[in-house]
Amino acid sequence: MRDILRSPTGIAGTVLLLIVFGAALFGPWIAPYDPQAFHATARLQGPSWRYLAGTDQYGRDLLSRLLNGAPATVLFGLGATVLGVGAGAIIGVSAGVAGGRTDTIVMRILDGILAMPELLFTLLIVTFLGGGLGQALLAVAVTFMPGMARIARSAVLSVRTREYVLAAQARGESRLWIVGREVLPNVLGPIIVEATIRVSFAIMIGATLGFLGLGAQPPSTEWGLMVAEARQYMFRNPWCVIGPGVAVAMTAMGFNLFGDALRDAFDPRRKR
Amino acid sequence: MSLAYLLRRLGSIVLVLAIVTLAVFILTAVLPGNAALMILGQNASADSLAALTAQLGLNRPLPVQYLSWVWGVLHGNLGMSLRLSLPVSQVVGEAFWNSLALAVTALVAVTAVAIPLGVVAALARGTVVDLLIGLFSYVGTSMPEFVTATLLLVLFASPGAQMLPAGGFVAPGENLLGFLDHAILPAATLGLILVAHISRQVRSEMSEVLSADYIRAARLKGLREGRVIRRHALPNALAPAVAVIALDVGYLLGGIIVVEEIFAWPGLGRLLIYALQNRDLPVIQAITLLLATVYALTNLAADIAIAILDPRVRYA
Amino acid sequence: MTYLMLKRRHVLMGLAALSAASALPRSAFAQGAAPKKGGTLRISHSTRIASLNVLTLSGPAEYPCIDMIYSGLTRIGADNKAHPDLATGWEASADAREFTFHLRPGVTFHDGTPFTADDVIATYQAILNPKIPAAARSVLNMIDKIEVVDPLTVKFTLKTPFADLPVSTAHANARIISKAALAGPIGNLETRANGTGPFKLETYDSARMVRLVRNEKYYVPGKPHLDAVEMMLFPDLAAETANFLSGSTDVMMTVQQADYQRIAGEAGVHAERVPSGRFACVVMRQDQKPWNDVRVRKALSMATDRDLLVEVILEGLGRPAYDSLVPPELQFATEKPAIAYDPEGARKLLAEAGYPNGIKATLVASDRPAIRAQTAIALKQTAAAGGFDLDIQTMPHDTYLASVWMKGPFYIGYWGMQPTIDATYNLLLTSDASYEDTNWKNKDFDKLIDEGRSTVEESKRAEIYKKAQDLELAETPYVVPFFEDVLTASRATTHDWSVSPMDRYFHVEDVWLDKA
Repeated sequence: MRDILRSPTGIAGTVLLLIVFGAALFGPWIAPYDPQAFHATARLQGPSWRYLAGTDQYGRDLLSRLLNGAPATVLFGLGATVLGVGAGAIIGVSAGVAGGRTDTIVMRILDGILAMPELLFTLLIVTFLGGGLGQALLAVAVTFMPGMARIARSAVLSVRTREYVLAAQARGESRLWIVGREVLPNVLGPIIVEATIRVSFAIMIGATLGFLGLGAQPPSTEWGLMVAEARQYMFRNPWCVIGPGVAVAMTAMGFNLFGDALRDAFDPRRKR
Repeated sequence: MSLAYLLRRLGSIVLVLAIVTLAVFILTAVLPGNAALMILGQNASADSLAALTAQLGLNRPLPVQYLSWVWGVLHGNLGMSLRLSLPVSQVVGEAFWNSLALAVTALVAVTAVAIPLGVVAALARGTVVDLLIGLFSYVGTSMPEFVTATLLLVLFASPGAQMLPAGGFVAPGENLLGFLDHAILPAATLGLILVAHISRQVRSEMSEVLSADYIRAARLKGLREGRVIRRHALPNALAPAVAVIALDVGYLLGGIIVVEEIFAWPGLGRLLIYALQNRDLPVIQAITLLLATVYALTNLAADIAIAILDPRVRYA
Repeated sequence: MTYLMLKRRHVLMGLAALSAASALPRSAFAQGAAPKKGGTLRISHSTRIASLNVLTLSGPAEYPCIDMIYSGLTRIGADNKAHPDLATGWEASADAREFTFHLRPGVTFHDGTPFTADDVIATYQAILNPKIPAAARSVLNMIDKIEVVDPLTVKFTLKTPFADLPVSTAHANARIISKAALAGPIGNLETRANGTGPFKLETYDSARMVRLVRNEKYYVPGKPHLDAVEMMLFPDLAAETANFLSGSTDVMMTVQQADYQRIAGEAGVHAERVPSGRFACVVMRQDQKPWNDVRVRKALSMATDRDLLVEVILEGLGRPAYDSLVPPELQFATEKPAIAYDPEGARKLLAEAGYPNGIKATLVASDRPAIRAQTAIALKQTAAAGGFDLDIQTMPHDTYLASVWMKGPFYIGYWGMQPTIDATYNLLLTSDASYEDTNWKNKDFDKLIDEGRSTVEESKRAEIYKKAQDLELAETPYVVPFFEDVLTASRATTHDWSVSPMDRYFHVEDVWLDKA
């Protein structure tokens, strides 16, 4: 952690993430209004003392909506990543450990999935799953899986011939034990680094799906959806698209910066 | 890189495409509703729906539907669009050229901006300029296309500003200036992430090259700095960047879906969303096939380029 | 035409002075000056013209095309009544079971072949053939037999009496197609068109433009005034608006509520809001709890703040509706008493019905058009005070059509205006209605509607339809929060452009351009 806070990227990332997590944890409680309440006499207003971030086309308070959307957005990013990275890591580690034909077949299939542009793949899955926040999360997780599996597999392959693994094998330890005690701890680093950066992708894709109407559905306060709903009114009150747009970018950037700093901390050679 | 390796890669691409079309077909077929329902909408009385389903051939057994589609594709016939009463090849073909025009515009602009930016950042390493460029690249990679696009629209296309059109398309063949006018915002949106990505890559390659022995030797010989950079450093740093640009084509293919939808650009992305909404399977299939092929081939091209440029990499 | 003029005045009075400035001289001019001949009318639209198949199409930009290319036996005028088109007149038997239509002599299709009774027979046989998809079948399925009396006379025999048959024959999807076209593959109708209407199809490019040119042999002498009409597809609303305001197009077919005020305020533009019977409704399946209790339905109605919905969703460009599907424009429509927003009363009524703690329910809305989800969101807000805890579920339109429409217990419906009370009720409310989605089966109501169908005398029909509407109000089968205006705009140089309240008839042959 100290390493991370030493670089400017790390500091910036940490600060951004603190803001975002603060909003995610406490947002719904500190929001000044009910995020769904209409203020019919104050529609499409710019920021004012009454409505700090302005109001949308129904006269709903934008700040309250942004704060309420934070947990969904952060949970989406973390959830999709944990699911995708978890499944990918399990597949990759198993394939790497198993080796031989299993490994070849699994990797061929993953290569196949990787032959599709990421967003196209997500879009197809979520269309078939039928739109919705849960479905979008699943789609993003599935999309992340093959890439993650590849990374996990190559990490396993690189430690497989290390002395401590060979020693364990010589001791006659069971495969499971070797994977659990010797291999996993050593491949955890690259997986965590990759996962952190992936969170920012997940948040961006999730918001994009919400924007396209395939993710969160109205009247959710998911940020991508907020931009989509306000698009028709963006010239009458730009604040209703700027707020959620900037919020998405800030959150994604937080994870991005933090992930890069994390990578540098794990891998001193990359520091320049 | 051996010929066997190339053939193996090509073979697996074909296999993957076959699996993808089968998967798309099955998933579209098992969903409730079909293209006939979407065409009739609220006019879908039971008998009309059944009649149109039969007319579109959607009541045939699923294997027959899929195999007859495959048969057609193998004979160069992509079928008819279910929704648009036009041959798929025509609908998708037109959209493809429109998308290509946008992608090429974006790539050209990106290359022109990103490489100088990366070089400057590398030369000015550690200064405020480098920091600013770095910050910009972080902002760029953290903004989803829809956010960038929306912000650009608010800034440049509001009825008050009206500097650029908010959307739409003019064919480059008809009116090149009109085309560029309409292409600026979508290309800028697509370009932002690419510029961020590529300039970062160029910066790191350039920094590495600049500290290499032969550059130091060139400087010691007394060559002027500008010449050192142009003649010696740049070519060596750019080679890997070219491979990165090829890889970014994959990103472009995804990004273009969102960007076209926002800026109402009549390309593949917008057509794909229209086809998905209308359950127009032949069009969905054709676009998926096309995008996946382009993506797979550029990936292969990038790998080949890297192998040629960097002798350390070996593919077996 | 006079009716429309009157209504325009009416609208003008109701509107802000904004549009009055640009509109007043226009209508004065329209009455005085003689129409000029020639010119190309450029109409912008933002939804694709995916098909020209008269039998099935349903796209908002597709209707004006077939209104220009084809003619029907009858056509709905600005007064919402059936007028002669290819039929010069008709007679009904006293029991409204037999109709004889006299066809217009000397009419030819665009390809030169003469129009005769055989074409009428072929068209109606196609519409009634269950193997051919046809949108008009549901309003014409009472036809038993169609016979040729002579080349210019056809006789319809009906299974059940139906006084409104001449309105049904005016259905937008019941236009007359040539016998030869119907003998060929039906799929050809998608892209080729051979009609008898005022304009001929010249270019069909679903991705860009549909161009129509004047039919020199149109049966009304001297019409159409225009040389050509271009339907220009703009993939994006902002681009469409910009082009219209800069004068690159003459007519903006549909104006969005959010943009109406701005467009109406521009100089040289005539924006028109046509009061229409287009409505959103809350569908409540009445074979299920809690919606089987009329008190619950009435409570939801009282918990609907109609003024707020009209203001927030329609930007004021519409009228509150009071739970009747029948808009005031229709013949025999009665005055509906206003239903005030009364959340207190709603709670009380719910308690009476056995729900003292209110009702929790999931309200489904399709994502297209956006007005459905908007209605759901606004309803959730206003109904909360009345004891309804609504959970909104928005879903893609294809999923909605396949899994919720006509099946789900509680969702938002959205329908265009129908030409008659009979058509409105037979669309949704009678026991055998085409899209009967509430399962509100009321024998008395069915009997009244049947009676109305078989009655020819107007005063008696008025009485019958009053009873039917009273029954609807008493039972509240649907909650209907508002009627939405149809919004369109034309440049001041374009004369006599209008959209019917039903959004199906455009009478483009009357339009003329006054350009130097």
